[in-house]
Amino acid sequence: MKNYNPFVLMFYFLAVVIISAFSENPVLQISALLGGILFCAIVTKSSETAGNIGFYVPMFFIIAVTNPLFSHNGATPLFFLNGNPVTLEAFVYGGAIAVMAIGVMLWCKCYSEIMTTDKFLYIFGKTVPKLSLVLSMALKFIPMYKQQTRRVSRAQKAMGLYSSKSVTDKIRSHARVFMAMVSWSLENSIETSSSMKARGYGLKGRTNFALFKFGADDLILLAVIVILLGVTVFGIITGETRFYYYPRISTLKFSAAYIAFGFFSLLPFIIEAKEAIKWRYYVSKI
Amino acid sequence: MKKRLSYFIIFPIIPAVVIAGAVLFSEKMYAWISLCVVFLSCIPFFLAFEKRETSVRRLVLIAAMTALSVIGRIIFTPLPGFKPVTAFVVLTAMYFGPQAGFMTGALSAVISNFYFGQGPWTPFQMFSWGIIGFIAGLLSGQLKKNKVILCIYAVFSGVMYSMLMDIWTVLWADGYFNISRYLMAVVSAVQFTIIYAVSNVVFLLLFSKPIGKMLDRIKEKYNL
Repeated sequence: MKNYNPFVLMFYFLAVVIISAFSENPVLQISALLGGILFCAIVTKSSETAGNIGFYVPMFFIIAVTNPLFSHNGATPLFFLNGNPVTLEAFVYGGAIAVMAIGVMLWCKCYSEIMTTDKFLYIFGKTVPKLSLVLSMALKFIPMYKQQTRRVSRAQKAMGLYSSKSVTDKIRSHARVFMAMVSWSLENSIETSSSMKARGYGLKGRTNFALFKFGADDLILLAVIVILLGVTVFGIITGETRFYYYPRISTLKFSAAYIAFGFFSLLPFIIEAKEAIKWRYYVSKI
Repeated sequence: MKKRLSYFIIFPIIPAVVIAGAVLFSEKMYAWISLCVVFLSCIPFFLAFEKRETSVRRLVLIAAMTALSVIGRIIFTPLPGFKPVTAFVVLTAMYFGPQAGFMTGALSAVISNFYFGQGPWTPFQMFSWGIIGFIAGLLSGQLKKNKVILCIYAVFSGVMYSMLMDIWTVLWADGYFNISRYLMAVVSAVQFTIIYAVSNVVFLLLFSKPIGKMLDRIKEKYNL
C-alpha cells in the first residue's frame, strides 16, 4: 500500500473517512471499522497492538454508554434515570456513533503510518508552495535542533558548567542551553534564507523533484477505487442505504452499496495480504 | 485585490457548507459539518499567506519558531497540558504580526500531530492555536508594552483553547452540539484549563524578555 502514488492514496483515505462519517448506515460504518481494524493490525507494530486495544476498547464503551445519559430522544424507553427516560434508540445510536468515531480514528492512524510527510508535501507542494516550504523546513529543523541542543550541552559540560548536583543549578543550565538554542536557531534561519536567496529561490522556471510516479499499478488501483466508490455513492444517493435511529430504529434493506463498500474498506488489507502471500511464495521457492 | 477575492470566495462557502450539511444530512452530522467549517475558516489565512508573504527570511523565521514550539511540546510530553506552544505562537505574533502568528499556531498543530497522531481534532487545534496567534498579533503593541496585559492574554488564550477543544469533544462524543454535555465537559476539564492558563503565563513571563530581545535584535539587524 505504501508504494502507491500519494494522490491515489489520499483520495482513498478521504473517500473512506468521508463515507463512514457522513452515512448513518450501520452496515457501512461497521465495514469501515472492520477495514480500519485489519489495516491497522497490518501497518502498526505488533508490540503496539496491546496498547491500542487498551485504548480503543474502553473509548468505544465510553462513547457508546454516555450517549443515552445525555440524549433522551427515541420512542422506546428502557428505564428512567432521575426522571429522564433512557431509550433503546439512544443506546443503539450511541453504539453507532462509537463505531463511527473509533473507525475514523483507526483510519487516521493508518493515514499517519502510510502518508508520511514526504507524500504530504508532494501533494501540497504545487498548490501552496510557500506553506509547504515552511512546513517542510520546520520538519527538518526539529531533528536539527535536537542535535544542536546536544552539541551545546556537551560544550557546556566540557566547560564545567553542568557539574553541580543541585536542582536549581540544573534548571539554570537547561535554561541557558535552551536560550542559546533559540538565538542560534534564529540566526541560523537567517543564514539559511540568505543561502536560499543566493541559489535562486523564488525565481521563475524552477522545477521540483519527487520520487513518486504514476504507474500502471496506480491506474489499476484508482480504477478499482472509482468503480467501488461509484456503486457505493449511487446507493447512498438513491436512498437505498438510508437509515434512522430516531424516533424509531428503521429496518435495513439490501443494497449493492454494502458489498461495494465492504470490498472498498477491505482494499488495503487485500493488497497487503496479496503481497504477503506473494512474498511467502517467492521465499519458498528459494 | 486577490486577497479580497479569497475572502469573498470563502465567506459564502462556509454558510453553504452549513446549509448543505443541514439539508442533505440530518442535524446529527454537526460534528462533521463543524469540522469542515473549522477547516474552511483556516483557508483564507493560508491563501492570504501564500499571496502576501514574499520575504524568504520571514518564511524561514516562521518555520524556525514553529519548530521550536513543536520541540517544546515534545519535551513537555510527560506533563499533560503544560506546554510552551502557545507562548511561542504569541511571541511570534507579537514580533511578526497576526498573519505569522496564525501560521505558527496552525502549523505547530499539524506538525506536532505528526508525532502525537493526526486525527479529526487536528483542524480544531490548528484553528484554536492559529486564532490565538492572530489575536495576539493584532494586540501586539499592548502585549509588548504591558506585562499585566500579557498575563491576562495568556490566561485568556488558555481558557479559549480549552473551550474550543471542548466543542470538539462534545461534537465527537454525541454527533451534535449538546449544550448540557458541553457545560459538563467545560466543568470537568477545568483542571486542564487551569494548567493551560498557568503554563501560558509561566512560559510567556519567562520567555517574553529574553526571546523578545533576540527577535527585536534580529528584526533590526536584518531589517525585517
